[in-house]
Amino acid sequence: MKKSFAVFLRRNLAFANLAIVTNLEYRLNYFIDVLVQPILTTGIEILLWIAVFKGAKSTTIAGFSENSYLSYALWSAFFSRIVTSWMYEFRMIEEVSSGTINSLIVRPMTFYEYYLSQLMGYKFVTTIISLIVPVVASLFFDLPTILSRVPLATLLAFYYLILVHTISFIVSSMAFHFTKISSMTVAKNLLMWILTGELFPLDILPPFWKSIVIGLPFASGVFVPVAYITGRVGIESMYSGFISVTIGIIVLNAIGAYMWKKGIDSYVGTGA
Amino acid sequence: MKYVIETENLSRVYKTYQKPEGLKNSIKGIWERKYDSKVALAPTSLKIESGKIIGLVGANGAGKTTLLKILSGLVTPSSGQATVLGYKPWERKNDFLRQMSILLGQKNQLWWDISPVDSYALLARIYDLDIAATRKKVDELATMLDCKHVLMTQLRRLSLGERMKMEIIGALLHDPKILFLDEPTIGLDIVAQQNIRNFLTNYVKEKEPTVILTSHYMDDIATLADSLLLISKGNIVYQGTVDQFVANTNSELAHDEKVDFEEVIRRFLETESRIR
Repeated sequence: MKKSFAVFLRRNLAFANLAIVTNLEYRLNYFIDVLVQPILTTGIEILLWIAVFKGAKSTTIAGFSENSYLSYALWSAFFSRIVTSWMYEFRMIEEVSSGTINSLIVRPMTFYEYYLSQLMGYKFVTTIISLIVPVVASLFFDLPTILSRVPLATLLAFYYLILVHTISFIVSSMAFHFTKISSMTVAKNLLMWILTGELFPLDILPPFWKSIVIGLPFASGVFVPVAYITGRVGIESMYSGFISVTIGIIVLNAIGAYMWKKGIDSYVGTGA
Repeated sequence: MKYVIETENLSRVYKTYQKPEGLKNSIKGIWERKYDSKVALAPTSLKIESGKIIGLVGANGAGKTTLLKILSGLVTPSSGQATVLGYKPWERKNDFLRQMSILLGQKNQLWWDISPVDSYALLARIYDLDIAATRKKVDELATMLDCKHVLMTQLRRLSLGERMKMEIIGALLHDPKILFLDEPTIGLDIVAQQNIRNFLTNYVKEKEPTVILTSHYMDDIATLADSLLLISKGNIVYQGTVDQFVANTNSELAHDEKVDFEEVIRRFLETESRIR
């Protein structure tokens, strides 16, 4: 048992390593992804909130100051980049629809772990580099930020990433039946844009919608960690976040396992 | 006699969407689709002994790749039973997958964006192999295949022949007990084909794995195979030794006619195809 866990661990560290090695083969693409994109996203979000406050001609919106929103925008851009996996989801779908999955399913490993470890490995390294942007910006502009809360908030986002990956696994399982399914990723990401709190802080929603949306595990992707860092919520929201993500992972994994079994049984080994 | 592969009434039927020509039928296909069932493999019962090299031969679409895919666990059969090394292949148990390897000549098995040495290091982790021993083995196999100079070049930058050599090394790293080779020499020039044939001949002599080999090049089959499995329209039409097959078929020819192995196979399959 101990040996098989050690084998599992070594194998998955190798997958994480593969993600980094593969991305470093294309240096320019990698550095644009880890540095240029976060700077641009952060800039756009900050400009958007500056424009909103100028138009509103008020010092607060829903009880929060302009600096509070700017800080939210800064950190939501950072967390939303951690918890999106469209790049890997497209790849997973492509593996199934093109038949390149053949080379993976005949090896002693699972498709789920192979991509989860790659996703984690890639996100871990890019997060360390991308973290420079919000830390420097929040210190430079003196935005409300509790830096000591960053590690726990980041941990929640990485835990949430398992849920994100499980959704990608479900979508890619659908490709066994429907072949081309990438539009599902786009539609789902638009929905997640709102449900995670990337577009705006979820606590400015009307009370009824706020209680529903914050109760869903998706809020733990962006809203909960960002609100925790910027002082909008306390540690109890983080605990609730960990619990709702755990429930989400269990439920979605059960659905994913069922859909994978149905999909792989109907698979025709495309292209070989 | 020890059998490593046993199948009983193993079959696979593929269901495919039939789309008649035109925009009108594309729109109609949104709510109403017609599917056609095609028998890719008719109920097949086989027994394959350990350590043999089986040449699986048939025309395009005859069902040989489907049989290979089922036996390697890529595809689940529609009906029937099969055991390979005592396992149901489509359950894809790790203990089974560790003992077999499949090489698909038309598909990359290694990672496209990294160098072969990085791929082999990853495979060592996947198959839980000793890293130092794996490096040594890569070195030995690359020497035999005369391709040491490209081990550190990104796979996508290699020629077809070099890539195939890299794929062969990757398929053999974990010393598989059973090896499925689907057209390992496809698209290669005559010299490269000969190199790979020589390499495989030496390898199977030394390691004695059971090999199921498909190829459209009859030289591959004639050089490597002990036994033949001829397949036509999803049906196994001959199972026996190569020598026996050639002897039987030659006895049916006119005395003054001389044909080579490839011609014998071609004529046999054409006849079978007409009958079925």
